[in-house]
Order: sequence, then structure tokens, then C-alpha cells
Amino acid sequence: MWRRRLAALGTAGVAVLASGCVMGRVYRDHPLDEQKIAAIQPGTTTKNDILNWFGPPQEVDARELTAIGVPFEPFISRRGEKPPVERMVAARYFRYTYARANAMAIVLVLLNYGDFDQKNDNLVVFFDGDNKVEDYAFRKDTELLPRFGFWSR
Amino acid sequence: MIRDGWLRKRIERCGRAALLAAGWCALVSVTGGCTIGRYYDGSPLRGEPSKLVEGQSTKHDVLQIFGPPTQIMHQTDGDAFVYTYQQYNYSSFRVQDPILGYNWFTYSRQLENRDRLLVLFDFTGVVRSIAIDHHVEAMPLL
Repeated sequence: MWRRRLAALGTAGVAVLASGCVMGRVYRDHPLDEQKIAAIQPGTTTKNDILNWFGPPQEVDARELTAIGVPFEPFISRRGEKPPVERMVAARYFRYTYARANAMAIVLVLLNYGDFDQKNDNLVVFFDGDNKVEDYAFRKDTELLPRFGFWSR
Repeated sequence: MIRDGWLRKRIERCGRAALLAAGWCALVSVTGGCTIGRYYDGSPLRGEPSKLVEGQSTKHDVLQIFGPPTQIMHQTDGDAFVYTYQQYNYSSFRVQDPILGYNWFTYSRQLENRDRLLVLFDFTGVVRSIAIDHHVEAMPLL
């Protein structure tokens, strides 16, 4: 009887010794200041304010069609014709992000499990033609990140 | 006579133990094992798309309900917001040669599904149409 117990214990010991656990954390950029986000006022806050508060954005949309509002036909370029002219007018929106990811892996003798979860805090600020904030949206998702993979999901 | 029987039993027991140990070693080294992987990108879509009314709801409403879009596109007849949540499931089973390291058999399965929401606006920022697709929850476990 004791031999069986010893064998089971030995097998369990080998399984524990031959297994491993991997944990990883990824942080990209820096957290967004929520107090400053709360201070954004559409129609009042300017593009300069946003740049002063949050610094350079991760994404700038500076593409604007000059032909907005005209009938659709001129947009269709025929073979041999030049495509519709586009020029950089003004940034329409800035995007600020803070990304975090948690990785976890369990390496057992016969079964391996890996889990990688990435979530972002995302702030998008839209500007009108006068370089004032038209609208904005913020979503904080990094708080939803499970700390230990599926155990805390 | 008694001594012979004891010795035979001892040898048999040792042989059985050695065989068991060899079997375990072979199983562990030959069978590469199973691997299960999960990759999650982003967060599940929030908000109820039925709250949006085509021709009435505005860009501001969409931002309030769904937050910042994953992707913003400009079309010739207005903007488009895309919201995405992506999940990737991987599972594999592998049997490997213990000496040469050759893969005798590998079975793997990869599933990559997304929940997507597309909102199209006209030039004045009013919702023109909505399309939604949920596929993540329907993914099989393995």
C-alpha cells in the first residue's frame, strides 16, 4: 500500500518538477490623466489645450477631402483622369491610447495552456474647423484586464 | 527453496517497476502533449445598438453609447466608425519522436472571431446605417 502511495507521490513530484509557469506584463505608453479628460469642454477647449495636456497623440487624422459637399460625380475618376484632389487641411481627430497586456502560461508535462489579453484606454478627440473640440469619447478598459489569466477572468 | 522464491518475486517486482518507469518515460518523451492558447484583443462591445435610430441619432450619441471607435474611416459620402473585439483560440495535439525530435503527428486548430459594429454617418454626422456581427461568444472551447 505504502509503495503505491510512494509511486503516486513520486509521479506527482515529477509532474511538478517538470512543469513551469510563465507570466508576462506589457505596458505601452503612459496612463491618460482622467482629471484632464474631465476638463475637456466641447466648443471651448482648443487643439492647443489638448496638446498641452496630453502631449503628442498616438494617431492624428489629417486627411480631409476638399470636395466635401459637391455632387458625387466629380469623385468618380475615369480611366486616364487624375483622382480627386485631396490636401491636408486640419487634423480632424487625435487619438491617445494606453495599452496593457497580461500574459500567462502553464507548462505541464502533457498539457500546456497560454493566455494573452490586451486592453487599451482610448481617448478620441474630434475638432471642428476652428480647432476647437467638437466632441470626444473616452473608454478605460485596462481595469478590466484579468490579473491571472482564466483564473481571474 | 524459500530463498529462490523470494528472489524470483523480487526480480519480478523490480522488472515490473522498471517497465512502468520506462513506460512513463516513453509516454512523456514521445507524446508532445496538448497546447491550448487564448488571445484576446480589446474589450467586448458595450452599448445596445438598438438604441440608435437611423436618420436621427448623431455622432455624439454613438460616442456616448459605444465610446471611442477602434477605427475611423472617411468615405466620400460621410464617415464610418468601426468597433471591434477580437478573440483567437488555438489548440494543438502533437506526438513527437523522442530521439530525433521529428513530429510524427500534429493536429492544430485556430479560430479567430470578431464582434464588429459598423456605423455609417452622412456629412452632417447623422447615423445613416448600422451593421453588427457577433461571433466571439459562439466560438467552441477547443
